[in-house]
Order: sequence, then structure tokens, then C-alpha cells
Amino acid sequence: MHTPEHKTDGPSTMHDVDNPAAMFVVYLVVLGLAVANILLSTTPLGKSAIYIQLGIASVQAVLVAYYWMHMRRGDTAVTLSAFCSLFFIGIFYLLVFSDIWTRWRMAM
Amino acid sequence: MSANHHGVLKHHFDNLEQQHAAERLGMWFFLVTEVLFFGGVFVAYTVYRYWYPNEFAFASSHLLLWVAGINTGLLITSSLTMTLAIRAAQLGDRRALIRHLLATFALGAGFMGFKAFEYYTDIHERFVPGEMFRQELAKAELELHAGHGGDHHGTAQHWAVDLAKNNADKSHTDPAYIGPGRVQLFLCFYYTMTGIHGIHILVGLGCILWLVQQAATGKIPPENYSTVEVVSLYWHLVDMIWLFLMPLLYLAGAGAHAAGH
Repeated sequence: MHTPEHKTDGPSTMHDVDNPAAMFVVYLVVLGLAVANILLSTTPLGKSAIYIQLGIASVQAVLVAYYWMHMRRGDTAVTLSAFCSLFFIGIFYLLVFSDIWTRWRMAM
Repeated sequence: MSANHHGVLKHHFDNLEQQHAAERLGMWFFLVTEVLFFGGVFVAYTVYRYWYPNEFAFASSHLLLWVAGINTGLLITSSLTMTLAIRAAQLGDRRALIRHLLATFALGAGFMGFKAFEYYTDIHERFVPGEMFRQELAKAELELHAGHGGDHHGTAQHWAVDLAKNNADKSHTDPAYIGPGRVQLFLCFYYTMTGIHGIHILVGLGCILWLVQQAATGKIPPENYSTVEVVSLYWHLVDMIWLFLMPLLYLAGAGAHAAGH
């Protein structure tokens, strides 16, 4: 039931409202990183290119999650959910590649 | 504010804060399943790319990078407008809310338009796994043997000509030989991953249109801003997945070619 003494019971307070200037700065950084990623592909990085490109994509994803998906609010359950998904993807990769790196494979 | 918060507060919640937190958490649980779903596809892609780097680089270098670049810009911009829509909803600015939602819809629709153009171009060039691929490659090999290799479809950059030329003087055991079957495997990943992502964009566009309808009929008061936020969480995740698809699918070949592979 509604409890009048609950100070956050109501529409969002101003501290929850995004600052448009900050959001625009995040936008420019994420966009700039995307351009950097494409430009990197024209440089002779060879096999290390994919790791750098995925590293840049990860930074972009963190910015999107932290600012635009509001993970910065520090909701414990939300943070736990997000890290659980990363943990399970880590298990996917670990199990699959531990098999691939240690067994002979057939040529396609 | 009215006692029942314009009917926004559901009877099983104590207050709006609790309701908003539950709505956000429910969407995050759904997003976790989405991450796991795409995670499985990413793992499979990584395995085959690890096994067949030359074929994946070759196929990737024949995709339309400029289209992927424009689409990346469109999606990132749409995430910004979606965030601004949440702000407008929180502040009770209905006109700005509808404006930002429509901008997000237009940017997402633009993404799908460019994607449709890309698929059309790929199909026109018969860069599709299966019979189309085999027939086109066989035709290019015949033309190469007959001495008209560089004139296929009027462009020297056509994938079939490049593949036929690359393999012309190589045996299957040559490390530089590019296996047509493995190139088609990359294309299977390309169509599956971008196709699934495209379906997610279409679902997001439908949700945004629904939000516009809700906002236009006054059903998104400031107390109910989390309705917009929940849809925005989904939209941002779809944007985030594209940020990984782009380098994996479109930049794999560009880096290899720059390195002289």
C-alpha cells in the first residue's frame, strides 16, 4: 500500500533524470570509438586487429550499459543479472575452447 | 498527484519505486536470456573463425563495409534519442517524448532500409550460400579458364572472380587456398546473425510505435516513465549487440587485407 512517509514514492526525482549534455558526450565518445574501429581495420594490425576491435566494442558496450541503460544507479539485482550473463558466456567459451585446443579436428 | 497515481500503481506493489524496480529487473532478466542466446552464436562464430581465418577474412572483405558503418551511426544515434525520450517522459514533456520516440523509430527504420539494400546487393551478386554460390563460382572459373576472368559482371572486385583467381594455381592443401565451403560457412553466420539481429530491430520498432500511441493518448504520465525505460533497455541491448557484430562480420577481412594476407 502507499506509505506517505516513503520519500521516493512518486514520479522520478530530478537526480534520476539524465543530464542531456552528459548523454551527448557519451554519444560522441561511442560514435568516435565506432569510427576508430573502422579506421583501425585499414591499418596493418594483422591477427591482433580482432582483439583490439573487440576491445573497443567492449568499451562501447560498457558506456552504453553504464550510462544509457542506467547501471550507474547501482541496483544490486540488475548488476548481478548483467554479470551473471557475462559469467555464463565465459563458461561457454571456456568449455568449447578447452575442447578445441586439446583435440584433433577433421578438415572441412 | 492522485492517490492511485493516475491508476499507474498496480495493486500488488507497495509503491511506484518498487513497481519501477520490478519492471526494470524483469526486463533485465529477459535481456540476460538474450545475451545467452547471442552468446551461443558468438561462440560458434569464434570457433569457425579460429579454424578458417583466411576464408572468413576473404568473405568479410566482400561485404559492404560502408553500409555497416552508416548503420552503426544510425543505431548509436537512435540509442541517444531513446535516452532523451526517457528524460522527456520523466519530465512530463509529452511532445518531446513523442518527438524523440519518432526520431528513434526513423533511425531504426533507416537501419532496416540499409540492411534491405545490403541483402539485395548480396543476393544480386549471388553471394548466398548454396546453389547460387556454387553456380556463380563455377561460371567465374569457366570464364577465367577462357581468359575473361576480370570482366565478370563488369567489376574486377566480384567475389567469385577473386575466389577463382586466388584458387586457380593452388591445390587444396596449399595454405593460401580459400575453401569455397568455408566461405559459405561464413555467409551462413553472416545471414543468421544479421537476420536475427534484424528481427530484434523489427520487434523494437513495433514496441516504439506502441509507446508513441500510448504517449499520444496520455497513458505515459511522469509516474509511468519506466514503460519507456523498459523498452529503451531492450533497444540499447540490440544496439550493443550490433557493436560486436560489426567488427566480427565486416572488419575481419579489412584488417587481414591491410596486413597483406
